[in-house]
Amino acid sequence: MSFTQAIIENVLKLAEEKGAKKVSKVVVELGDLLLINPEQLGFCFQVLSCGTIAEGATLEIKFVKPHIECPICGKHHSYPVAICECGGIVKVEGGKDIIIKRVEMEV
Amino acid sequence: MHRIEVDAEIDILDIDKRLAAENRDFLKKHGITAINIMGATGSGKTLLIEKTADTLIDKVKIGAILGDVIGKADYERVVRRRVKAEIINTGKECHLDAHMIHHAIEKFDDVDLLFMENVGNLICPVDFDLGEDYRVVMVSVTEGDDVIEKHPEIFRLADVIIINKVALAHAVEANVNKMIEDARNLNAIAKIIRMDLKKNIGFNEWLEWLEEALSRSK
Repeated sequence: MSFTQAIIENVLKLAEEKGAKKVSKVVVELGDLLLINPEQLGFCFQVLSCGTIAEGATLEIKFVKPHIECPICGKHHSYPVAICECGGIVKVEGGKDIIIKRVEMEV
Repeated sequence: MHRIEVDAEIDILDIDKRLAAENRDFLKKHGITAINIMGATGSGKTLLIEKTADTLIDKVKIGAILGDVIGKADYERVVRRRVKAEIINTGKECHLDAHMIHHAIEKFDDVDLLFMENVGNLICPVDFDLGEDYRVVMVSVTEGDDVIEKHPEIFRLADVIIINKVALAHAVEANVNKMIEDARNLNAIAKIIRMDLKKNIGFNEWLEWLEEALSRSK
């Protein structure tokens, strides 16, 4: 819920800066390794936007995969394993951010 | 009225990241080793702080920030051990965050070792950097020997993984070796300790790790 609150606060601030009357769509990138349930995020967005100019706006969530690569053999892994088949310690980068990418609004 | 699209690129975790960095600067400035202890309710987090205090309190000044949804039971337990403590009741939040720690941290400028005992669960605390030096995750065999494989992310990011209550493993039919293997499959470098705090198993190994960590902060 605190994440959704932060999303809405930032969206409303941006909308105010642009002089918007209504927010129609918010596009958010969500890191795949975050333990955030996207359905809950969507539900909280609906509830917390009530009574604001973002009420009824669509929340579009795009998932961002982390980059998981063995620095020894260069193999890319699809999920975070600790040790590669070659014995190398796998490096995991990204997949932990929430970014508001785009906001559509009526001005 | 017409429709516009605004490219935003706003990082929602930016404030958390900044506050965690400020906490880290504060801790570094005062030579404090900070440990974020995570684990389910009843896994042994508070007992670990109590026993550590019993052993080290005469030579190491210890502080503890205790996160709980409600109540002050943990606070009262550690204060009896001469630990300088502060309680954070998180209310409806299931984790500590850098902002809560930021408010509480200033009174701990004179400690050598600061425990941040997180709210008891293996999910919500994962995404929040508090500014700690080390992440310790504690599980007990009574949670089932599949508890580690079911919660990969918290173990992937841990510096120390403690498997507690191993003396009860037989009674609850938990396979401790499987738990260790699961932990190693998720995390190649974490220190893994088999422990039973009530039977004094693995506690010295913990103290050795802790004393090394303390000497690194000096």
